Amino acid sequence: MTTETYSSNAVERSRLNNRLRAMVTQENLITLVVALIVAGAVIVPLVVLFVSSFKVLDPAGWDTTWGFGNYVTMFTDRIIPKAFVNTLIISSGSTILATFLGVSLAWINARTNCPGRSYLEPYNLIPFFLSPFVGAIAWHNLGEPQTGLLNNLAREVFGIEGAIINVDNIWGVIWVTGIFFAPLVYLFVVGSLRRMDPSLEDSARTTGAGLFRTTMTVTLPLVMPGILSGAIIVFVTSAGEFGVPFKLSAPYGWETLTTQIFSKAVGDDANHHMGAAMSMALGIITVFLIWVQQRYIAPRSFTTVTGKGFRPNVLDLGPWRWVAFGYNIFFIMVAVVLPIVCLIIVSLHPVWTGKIVLADITTINYVKTLMWWHPEAISAATNGIGNSLILAFGGASISMVLALVISYMIHRTKGFGVRMLDFLSMVPIGFPGIVLAMGVLVTYIQTPIYATLWILMLAYITRFFPYGQRNISSIMLAISEELDQSSRMAGASWFTTLRRITIPLLKPGLFAGWILLFIIFLRELSISIILFTTGTETLSVGVYYLTNFENEPLTSALSMAQTVMLLIAIYAFRRLAGREALTA
Amino acid sequence: MTMQEDTGAYLEVQNLVKYFGNDRAVDDISFAVPKGAFLTLLGPSGCGKTTTLMSVAGLHAIDGGRIRVGDVVYTSPSEGLFLPPEKRDIGMVFQSYAIWPHMTVAKNVAYPLEIRKVNQSEIDDRVAEVLALVGLTAEADKLATNLSGGQQQRASLARAIVSKPRLLLFDEPLSNLDLKLREQMRVELKRIQNEVGITSIYVTHDQSEALVMSDEIIVMSKGKIEQRGGPVEIYSRPVNEYVSNFIGVANLLKAKVRDSDGSGQGVVEVSQDGQTMTVPCQIGPGIGAGDDAVLSVRPENVHAVREGNGNDDVEGEVTHAIFLGNYVDCRVKWGDFEWKVIAHPRTRLKAGEKVFLQFDPEHTLAVQP
Repeated sequence: MTTETYSSNAVERSRLNNRLRAMVTQENLITLVVALIVAGAVIVPLVVLFVSSFKVLDPAGWDTTWGFGNYVTMFTDRIIPKAFVNTLIISSGSTILATFLGVSLAWINARTNCPGRSYLEPYNLIPFFLSPFVGAIAWHNLGEPQTGLLNNLAREVFGIEGAIINVDNIWGVIWVTGIFFAPLVYLFVVGSLRRMDPSLEDSARTTGAGLFRTTMTVTLPLVMPGILSGAIIVFVTSAGEFGVPFKLSAPYGWETLTTQIFSKAVGDDANHHMGAAMSMALGIITVFLIWVQQRYIAPRSFTTVTGKGFRPNVLDLGPWRWVAFGYNIFFIMVAVVLPIVCLIIVSLHPVWTGKIVLADITTINYVKTLMWWHPEAISAATNGIGNSLILAFGGASISMVLALVISYMIHRTKGFGVRMLDFLSMVPIGFPGIVLAMGVLVTYIQTPIYATLWILMLAYITRFFPYGQRNISSIMLAISEELDQSSRMAGASWFTTLRRITIPLLKPGLFAGWILLFIIFLRELSISIILFTTGTETLSVGVYYLTNFENEPLTSALSMAQTVMLLIAIYAFRRLAGREALTA
Repeated sequence: MTMQEDTGAYLEVQNLVKYFGNDRAVDDISFAVPKGAFLTLLGPSGCGKTTTLMSVAGLHAIDGGRIRVGDVVYTSPSEGLFLPPEKRDIGMVFQSYAIWPHMTVAKNVAYPLEIRKVNQSEIDDRVAEVLALVGLTAEADKLATNLSGGQQQRASLARAIVSKPRLLLFDEPLSNLDLKLREQMRVELKRIQNEVGITSIYVTHDQSEALVMSDEIIVMSKGKIEQRGGPVEIYSRPVNEYVSNFIGVANLLKAKVRDSDGSGQGVVEVSQDGQTMTVPCQIGPGIGAGDDAVLSVRPENVHAVREGNGNDDVEGEVTHAIFLGNYVDCRVKWGDFEWKVIAHPRTRLKAGEKVFLQFDPEHTLAVQP
């Protein structure tokens, strides 16, 4: 009797052990570990941020009490409610401008016979990769009433009194943000436009609808999900944008949420708990919008296009095609050419007065910002270049490894935690960098990684690895799972399959994703501005330092250096990723 | 490789259960396959045939049951056994062919041998041999993406058999080919399988594919086995309405068994819109006198004649008759029911004619509803 019980227990136990052993596979273990790491990186800062926002600093700045005081202050404060309104105005205005520009340019490039389309397209996309902060600096030097290059040209060439434009206000912010984010909308729309079945348009034309009417009633409604997606992304990105309002509107009395969060994170006015509360407010708005976009709008965008690989007929615009051409050239001028030319001009002057003085031309600004061995070198700038390169190389590499593992888990395994992983890798997309940085700041300020490059690296990766992950995921979805399975059936282990089949097939996507992250990290501002300290400045922080404490020519020189590095990376990206990589 | 001289069950699947969420995708099925045989799992999508195949392959973990090949147990959850797919020594041909686009055809085919650490000269020999067998010798150095669908199919088959695996699995391999190529590949696949003699399981929803290629067919529906048998048996002796309907074309009418002699002969009564007929027929398994049944008659086994023999003939009207050269496709209206009838072209049946229908008891079946 006892022996029987004993032995059946033993059998039971060995079965349980066997089951456990069956569950502890390479796949399950790795999924679990990665899910825990990602959960730690993504969730902890947001939870700490949430908790921290309920701590109210006493007026003396010594002690905190629990309460809703910070949220009350948001409504009663002298500046914050206005900053809220300004953020809404800027985001709405930028969204309208970017959507109009993005959709019209995409339509011209994908659906019409505008001359030189294939040459124009890469230039239309360049602003997407450049720093909007640098764009703001360039436009400040173009459109400042006294020292703006365009205003001075107008005065000298046309004899106009006063200023023709002034970008140092909320409209300037909308202008710069709008033109820099137009490519976002463009990318969301151009793919569907290009793949659209031309017979949908043709059939409208045969019913007697003209070109304009067909475009408005057939073409654009068909790509409406793409347009809406792009618009929401622009709204959210504009709301989280720090550099442009910091340069163009905050100094002139138009604070935004991001500039206010910044002032609560560092400086004399610092109050991390207040900053946390404002970050929560901004984060809730953006997360909600991104959720709407992901849940309701993005899934519909594939239903309107046919999957056929034909090259659709384009519309003949007749003589209007030259208008379309001129419009496109105008966009490239204001978004790319004018800002870069202006930066070059300003950076070659010892001081900038708004006039080109050929006799004064000098390279001293480049010496001071680039040559770290030079006695007059400004360390914030030279440190910034080195640190940004380290962060961009290291961050992009770590992010892509993480992204590869996560994509693989999500699309190829049934291990535990896969659904959680999928969710977690969506979360950071909903939060502006400055919000996540605020969370990272309050979480890690008392740990040894604070004031090192590691905290920046951690925040960069946490915020941006989802982009790499989506890049890989989209390719992984296009690659049949059977390609992996047949390798397993051929006798190869999970790891051998990953090494010999999966990764080689993903290689183009891995490179493209790496360069995309490299570009993002090289120009990153809104995370860096919260987390940097002396010695861990980044390129954009260097630009911030120069524009705040030095002069415009020095600022322009470092901006130009950053822009050149970005242009090289963009060139590499296009070579590797090809034309359709971004629109996929 | 293990030499298994046993002529009994080589592959044995016992009480296989697989859930997807709360759905029982495979619901307690068992079957066995002798060595070298070609078994087809046939059924509509969602019947559990692919899930069964994936379970044998090890690409799904199963929830209950046991799968054994030769003396190797592939999986048995109750014993805590699960052999990962790469350890099962199986060759598999996928629906999408799954030819790796970053390798040449020869590289694709050599892969299973490289994984098994076979030496290079033997790899070269085996690859050349197998490519010759499937007729791809000329394409060896092409990139896989430059092959046509049919060639990719052959490359995929070559890769599956090159390592002489214990089992060959086919997951609807011909469904992406066009009709003509599909018909040609059926014969080709069967020839190669015969030649290499590897025990095979083939999954398809195409009944004619199953009939042409298989030694044995298992018809599945909703995760269960409906019938198992050779192609002729499945076609001419379906056990229930589902199988009669799924394989080929049949006239199916609700019937009642009037008489059954217990050895498979009997009489059923069919009522349709006030008319009644009694038909002597074969009584299928699982039904007896007094039971509800379904009368199943293939169109080629219904004889439409102008002159009845008087007694139990069924009289109907030809609603249309389409001349198709070697036969005439007719519809004969009897009450509410339209009989599908295949008539000899010499009968010259025309729409509107009155005809009598006669049934051969040998080829008239009463089956389970």
